[in-house]
Amino acid sequence: MPTDSPPPPPPPPPRAASLSDDDRLLVAHCAALSFPSGAPPASCPSTSPSFQVHHASHPYPCSAFVFPPSWSAADWAPSPAGGVGRPPFGDAEVDPALFPSLRAVGSGVPARANAAFLGAFRGLLDGSPLQSEVLRAVAEEKRVVFTGHSSGGSIATLVAIWFLEQCTRQGSVNQAHPFCVTFGAPLIGDSIFNHAVRREGWSQCILHFLLPLDIVPRIPLTPLASFKEEIQAVLDWLSPQTPNRSPAGRSHAIPEYYETLLRSTLSIASYEACSFMGCTSSILGTLTSFIELSPYRPCGTYLFLASSEQLIVLTNSDAVLQLLFYFLQLDPQQQLLDAAARSLSAHWQYEPIKQCMQDIVCVDYLGTISSDIPGRQSNRTAIGSVELSKEAILHLSAAAQWEKQRQRNQTKIDDNCRKIQEALKSLNDYKRTCELYGVSYYDSFKLQREVHDFNANVRRLELAGLWDEIVEMLRRRELPDGFEAREEWVRLGTLYRRLVEPLDIANYYRHSKNEDTGSYLSKGRPRRYKYTQKWQEQLQRIPFGSSLESCFWAMVEELQADMANGRAFANLRDRVVKLESDAQGWLNSGSLGKDVLLSSSSFVAWWKTLPEQHRSASCMLKHIPQ
Amino acid sequence: MDDTGGEEETSMFETSHVLGALLASSPLLARAWDRCVAATAAAGGGAAATSGFVHGGGGGRDGGPVYVAFSGVQAALSAAGAAVAGGGVDVFAPVGLGGDAARRLFAPLVAGEQDAAAGEPVAVQALALQIFLKLCGSPDFQMLLNQISGKAVVFTGHSLGGAIAALAALHYLCISSSSSTCAPAPPVLCITFGSPLLGNEALSRAILRERWSGNFCHVVSQHDIVPRLFFCPLDAVPAHMIVGMQLQEWPARTRHAAVVTTITERMAGTDQDALRQLIRTHVGAVAMEQKLAALVTPGGSPYRPFGTYVLCSPDGAVCVDNPTAAVQMLYATFASRCLLGAEPPEAAHSCYGNLVLKIPQHLLLKRRLCVNELPATSNYDTGVSFALEASGIDAMATEASATRQWLKTSKRAGQRPSLNCAHLATRLGRITPCRAQVEWYKALFDGDMGYYDAFKQRQSPKKFSKANMCRIKLGQFWDGVLAMLDACQLPHDFHRRAKWVNAARFYQLLMEPLDIADYHRNNLHRTRGSYILHGRERRYELFDRWWNEKGCTAIGTTSSTSVASASRRSRSKYAGLTQDPCFWARVEEAREQTVSVRCERDSVELAMKLEELQEFERYSSELVASKEVSVDVLAPQSSYTLWVEEWKQLKLREDVRTILFQF
Repeated sequence: MPTDSPPPPPPPPPRAASLSDDDRLLVAHCAALSFPSGAPPASCPSTSPSFQVHHASHPYPCSAFVFPPSWSAADWAPSPAGGVGRPPFGDAEVDPALFPSLRAVGSGVPARANAAFLGAFRGLLDGSPLQSEVLRAVAEEKRVVFTGHSSGGSIATLVAIWFLEQCTRQGSVNQAHPFCVTFGAPLIGDSIFNHAVRREGWSQCILHFLLPLDIVPRIPLTPLASFKEEIQAVLDWLSPQTPNRSPAGRSHAIPEYYETLLRSTLSIASYEACSFMGCTSSILGTLTSFIELSPYRPCGTYLFLASSEQLIVLTNSDAVLQLLFYFLQLDPQQQLLDAAARSLSAHWQYEPIKQCMQDIVCVDYLGTISSDIPGRQSNRTAIGSVELSKEAILHLSAAAQWEKQRQRNQTKIDDNCRKIQEALKSLNDYKRTCELYGVSYYDSFKLQREVHDFNANVRRLELAGLWDEIVEMLRRRELPDGFEAREEWVRLGTLYRRLVEPLDIANYYRHSKNEDTGSYLSKGRPRRYKYTQKWQEQLQRIPFGSSLESCFWAMVEELQADMANGRAFANLRDRVVKLESDAQGWLNSGSLGKDVLLSSSSFVAWWKTLPEQHRSASCMLKHIPQ
Repeated sequence: MDDTGGEEETSMFETSHVLGALLASSPLLARAWDRCVAATAAAGGGAAATSGFVHGGGGGRDGGPVYVAFSGVQAALSAAGAAVAGGGVDVFAPVGLGGDAARRLFAPLVAGEQDAAAGEPVAVQALALQIFLKLCGSPDFQMLLNQISGKAVVFTGHSLGGAIAALAALHYLCISSSSSTCAPAPPVLCITFGSPLLGNEALSRAILRERWSGNFCHVVSQHDIVPRLFFCPLDAVPAHMIVGMQLQEWPARTRHAAVVTTITERMAGTDQDALRQLIRTHVGAVAMEQKLAALVTPGGSPYRPFGTYVLCSPDGAVCVDNPTAAVQMLYATFASRCLLGAEPPEAAHSCYGNLVLKIPQHLLLKRRLCVNELPATSNYDTGVSFALEASGIDAMATEASATRQWLKTSKRAGQRPSLNCAHLATRLGRITPCRAQVEWYKALFDGDMGYYDAFKQRQSPKKFSKANMCRIKLGQFWDGVLAMLDACQLPHDFHRRAKWVNAARFYQLLMEPLDIADYHRNNLHRTRGSYILHGRERRYELFDRWWNEKGCTAIGTTSSTSVASASRRSRSKYAGLTQDPCFWARVEEAREQTVSVRCERDSVELAMKLEELQEFERYSSELVASKEVSVDVLAPQSSYTLWVEEWKQLKLREDVRTILFQF
């Protein structure tokens, strides 16, 4: 660009990590499939196919799965057959068998999503050739693309996540590199859903194209169960089968519903803004138990079509939620009826994407706002056809600040890495020294006779402080979503857990805390170990609860205590056998140290008290020194 | 640490108006108001006249909250006669909750006063209390309490009805907090519309202490005089205004035409501008007084706000939960645009129905900040401008800049506790090695004389001084924690968080024996008196209470603790730490007693002392038998072992044996 041109051109808005040319082609392709030309799309409402597959070879071989929208309210919210006790927003937990990753890893809370969409997805999986078609596409080494308009987009999102789960389990995600493109899709999952998708790094391949005013994405923010008729009225109006499109024609149901929608959206946006702006008012907690707030949150990458030249790209879910309200904020003179009409008709204005994708500019709007000098954003409020209020800008920059703050917290935590490694190293030395003396460090620590036992205890406490801080921050969601999936931390956590948890167990049983509060595993296990164990299980994609090797000693202690209390061996046999076979596996894989088998180890001593008959047949026999 | 100031500035955002938007955009206020209207309509309507409240679902789905609305008509009628006569102010004076009935109904609020020791007792407005007590005695109300137990409840009321609703909510919170069920208490919310102030400073503090501030939501319109009236000295309050405005709301007022007409006439005769000026002066005075942190001026009003105030203007709503900031806002909103508006006070008092409909509609519009000329400032200041606009304060008015400052202060005050708590957790992590050091010290002497006696006798000076240093450091740390707690710099529920209760308990069990040893080594028990009564640090007494309040099974009394321990699995070996922190103090006392018994000649005295000793023997042997003591107690040279031996010797004596035999 020539710099000496006399009238200084307005600075171009900074470009976002923009779409590659191939992706642009693909998006245009998806738009063409979702909005087939030839005016009214296939007028066969009752027998509309559950999905269609299109194969293309340009820009590279790909199979596009197109999911059609539904215009029946029953497909948007589950029927209120249950009546009482049904969640008013029609959400349900996702099936952990289909979506094992969709959960908060440390706490184990599963994500929730729209039950009707989940049901539709389930139906496709079980009752249609979807699975086989997808497998065929993968086998033919085609890139798999999922796309859809309106509720079809939500189904496409679920299918894409299911596919990503499948791929990562089989370690073949790179070949497939799936892609999901939706147009005007309603929100589908809750905040944990979004958290999990971001953690797994899937938001890059889930692209939601939205027109700023489109009503449909916001529909799930209203209580679906109690507004079924109104939603049906909206869908009837939107449906291409309806000839006469005029909200006035539908009496007053639509404008009234539109006001409800605006208010619900404002409630959610205000509620979330309170959290990320750091509201400490004590009434906030009380209000949330009296105000029904929709659980749904944006998830994935959002691309708002500000005009046919500009695309606002956002990955910050908080910011997207704010925009969902502030884009709809009315101008003082605007009539509700007109606003509703504009918002409804926006749902059918995605077709230009077919043409404009090649030259469209991606704008990092959030970056612009948050880097601006506070108070001076006024000249940048308008982008394309969209103008935002100053309040909106303030909320957006708060959302951006919060994301940065979480990043800063992570940097702070990363600084602890070295401290943790040093402490672990010194504990490792302790373990080795004990082995040189011929005792397991577990037993030595439990006795606390030597100075090095004491020093190890100090190390243990220091480490506990560092890890508890991390766990607390995770619980308060003060770290980035991806933290629990970062390999270096998962590895460090596993190292820490295997080395130090035996010391915590030793301390627990040394002070007989099991007699105060209960067994270590059920009552005494600190969160820092539960969390790190789940991190590893999630990263390795192994079943939850399967790597308890660091709790080996707790199980031994419990068995010992039970036998000391006079329980007969026959009653404990199953548990002993289970422990033995687990231990063998852990010893073979190296996740359990060989020090447990030292001849003076309390495990060995205890094992030798087991009945001869059992011992001779045990898998431990060959490990135990005679 | 230095950069926190700047960082705090940029990442700080004003949220009071955002919270207001959340509240106003929800159907909550409109539903509550509908109920209030129904309650006023129902009041005085024939036979049901006495109940004074209506209840029902909020129009939402099943399982939604129950709304209970109270009418203030009864209260207004009962005060009307006096008000007509020109007096009636005394019914609005505060009275203590010391009365028998009131003490029973509000037990936790009154009980907490013993801690405060100094200061005035909790007091509430006499009229509201009187009406509430009457209501509480009615079978209808008791039935209602049964019906709503376990459900989410919204108590609500307009004007005087709001004050009664607040008392009902307080009572409901009191009974739910003292009920023994472990289930989490169902949510309770009290929404008042334009209600007069209810209680004094002590009530406000008690509510903070019980962490109930978040359960009260006082909606106040910009120029409503009623919520601000009681900031004036009581003798200046025109009682007929409150009574009259309440009665005007009442559809059935024609039945009491005579009273209503007289009141209305008197109201019409009141100089409105003078009234506004009066309120303005006094609310301003209270606001100023708080700014200076001065003592309450004699003759001023005793009333203070509590809970969260929702200050409404047609442009929006602002939530303030800090009592000081609430006074500031009540003043600033009233003073701003006060003389321009000049709507009659009746209108400002009855506008809530209109407000709850208007605010949400207004929030949906793009607002233009009038103060675009304001120099570019921080995000925080922009947020405050929105908050001011939402509460109806003119950004250019003189009150605006003071309010700005107050919102900022209360924002900081709100953030500090959780920040402090996080810092404290890190400091606890750093101080824990000291604790480990003492544990180590204890283990050293477990087989010999126990760490109690070793510390008392300063065995192995080097180790002693190290342990002593740790004792002092840990004591300082925990005293610091308590100092922060006293200064309200920690979260209100700090003492109920498991992490802190457990950490404090563990510290206490390990360290208190050393403090006891120190006390007795320095012979303080001779100069100051027994350790248990006169020597315990305050921290230990508090930690005892925290521990006892923990969980639901171990409430207070010793009998329930022993029940709790009996239900537990019995110990197979000695506890890591002796479970009675004062065990060693008792041992010391027993040993003293044993010595004095040896040379006691008076047989009556002797018998008394022996009885005490036998009591101790029973207590200690039970503790040992149940293995509630740590091994150091039984160490061969420990004071306890020595005492057991001394006691055995003593029992060999002829006269002792005879006396013991008589017990």
